[in-house]
Amino acid sequence: MTLSRGIKRGFVGAALLTIILVIIGLITSYFGSRYQLRLVYSTYVNLLVVLGLQVFMGNARITNLSHSAFMGIGAYAAAICVTPVNIKALSLPNAPWGLNAFSLDPLSSALIAIVITGTVALLVGLMIVRLSGIGATIVSLAFLVIVHSLFLYRTDIFKGNQAFFGIPQVFNLASVIALSAVVVFSVRIFRESKWGVALRASADDEVGALSMGVEMYRLRLIAWVFSGMLLAVAGIAYAYFLGTISARPFYFNHVFLTLAMLIFGGMRTVTGAVLGTFVISLGLEMVRWLETGPVFLGIDLPEALGLSGIALGVVIVFTMALRPSGIMGEHEIEDLVLKK
Amino acid sequence: MEYVVQQIMNALAFGAEYALLALGLAIVFSIMGLVNFAHGEIIAVGGYTMVAAAALAFKNPMIVIGAAITAAVVASVTLERVAFRPVRYADPTTGLLTAFGVSMILQNLFLLLVSPRPITVTSLFFLEWSIDLGGVRVSSLQLFEALATIVVIILLMLFLRRTLLGLAMRAASLDFEMVRLSGVRANRVFAIAFMISGLLAGIACVFIMARRGSVDPHLGFDPVLKAFVACVVGGFGSLPGAVLGGFLLGAVEVAMLVMLPQSLGGMTDAFVFGIIALLLFWRPDGLLAPRSEKGDKH
Repeated sequence: MTLSRGIKRGFVGAALLTIILVIIGLITSYFGSRYQLRLVYSTYVNLLVVLGLQVFMGNARITNLSHSAFMGIGAYAAAICVTPVNIKALSLPNAPWGLNAFSLDPLSSALIAIVITGTVALLVGLMIVRLSGIGATIVSLAFLVIVHSLFLYRTDIFKGNQAFFGIPQVFNLASVIALSAVVVFSVRIFRESKWGVALRASADDEVGALSMGVEMYRLRLIAWVFSGMLLAVAGIAYAYFLGTISARPFYFNHVFLTLAMLIFGGMRTVTGAVLGTFVISLGLEMVRWLETGPVFLGIDLPEALGLSGIALGVVIVFTMALRPSGIMGEHEIEDLVLKK
Repeated sequence: MEYVVQQIMNALAFGAEYALLALGLAIVFSIMGLVNFAHGEIIAVGGYTMVAAAALAFKNPMIVIGAAITAAVVASVTLERVAFRPVRYADPTTGLLTAFGVSMILQNLFLLLVSPRPITVTSLFFLEWSIDLGGVRVSSLQLFEALATIVVIILLMLFLRRTLLGLAMRAASLDFEMVRLSGVRANRVFAIAFMISGLLAGIACVFIMARRGSVDPHLGFDPVLKAFVACVVGGFGSLPGAVLGGFLLGAVEVAMLVMLPQSLGGMTDAFVFGIIALLLFWRPDGLLAPRSEKGDKH
């Protein structure tokens, strides 16, 4: 089997990104404090989310606002499966359908969670892929609201805004780095595959691609479901590290944060997704420090709640006004070392 | 009988609110292809202006209402000049994301500069009393809302059909370049579109505030999400579609409120969106989508 030129370049690019991801991980695990380790871990989880988002947004070029909901579905499904029975008897005494009467090992729980999320994504996707770009965005937003109200309403299963605790903490920084490397490879290969190329072509010129025999709706659906499953993986990584989850992190603020990351880096490329995640995470930590009202150069700054939200909004508005395709535009990382 | 009439009034009032907001979204979209996510923040600007006007001890509620509507119009036109001008001729996704960013900035500015907590406004409570309509008691506020919306729709229709500027606006939604070539200033058309959009949001704001009695940074989120869904159902960019979608959504919502058992109260919106989703499955482009062939240049 001969590989196409795009896929070969994709392997090089993904390998370069993996090296960077591993180096960042190694530096933090040698020099970082406990608190910094947690921050870096959550950055890697956000990276998984942004990569999952890129699969659909970057290739089909339709804005998706429901990604945090899929992350939440994955996280809760895995959490319900994996949490030991004695803890569930305490935390979910009224759970229906015997949900509190069984528990599985982390691996099979994760697989079940991915299958469940993929099925939900398939059902939602069947409708979303047929809508025009803007219709799809609005419906994805409505889906986010539906899932969030479900998390809040069924407190007997999800515990709403209270903590769902007792999830075994089986993940550490090394496992999430390994996971993100695998995801970087699969997302990049998808982008360069026959499907990815055809999907990007249909986003550039819908009529042209259709006339060349591109089955746009089917390809969009494939990308959507694949994206949903990757988002479930991100949710599982989140739950397996923290040990407790609640409905709040899977809502608007997170949607907005990860969207800003992808847009800033450039949604059309995998390199852009990685770059955006790390730059925004770093920048946001500084803004958060300002938000708490620190003493800086002898000046006692006031507490400024909402500053990080403003900063993210400004990033999005300026990126759109000055460079709508993000920092990376159409460039992937291997363009630095390989000839065109 | 009384119960039925009351529920019909409920549906009309809900629908009127969604129709007003959806019209404001549709008029901007039809002309510049912008999905204005910051529409909800225009409503919040109106709400906060009421707080300020009431705090300045304006006892006359008409001044409070006038101030709120004026503020909404000014805010809407300002947003067009400051934020949306650079992305005026960009593709819809760029515009959509810009508007999304603007919406977040404004929401967090309210959070930072005013307060994350709701602020009460009592000056509009006088709008609510109960009217005896042929033996049936209905809420005056709902009656006002339905009537105001009908009047606004008629005025808007007259403006679009009977005036030169209205003609230019309708033409701009079909072929903007042609309109510019015939000597109409682009800036003017955009400014008018945002002015109308802000005016509609301001009127909706008055009724929302009269019903809720308080304002917080997320005031506009829920109604505008519904208005967006109404636009999608009606066919994005179609003005009659926006009105139809708004009233349809209002009717479905009231039907769900009536039919769902009390225990499912928190899930009303989920059911409403679910039903709308089925409708879109049948008609992906919406009920009254403007006719266009795939590949047409806009």
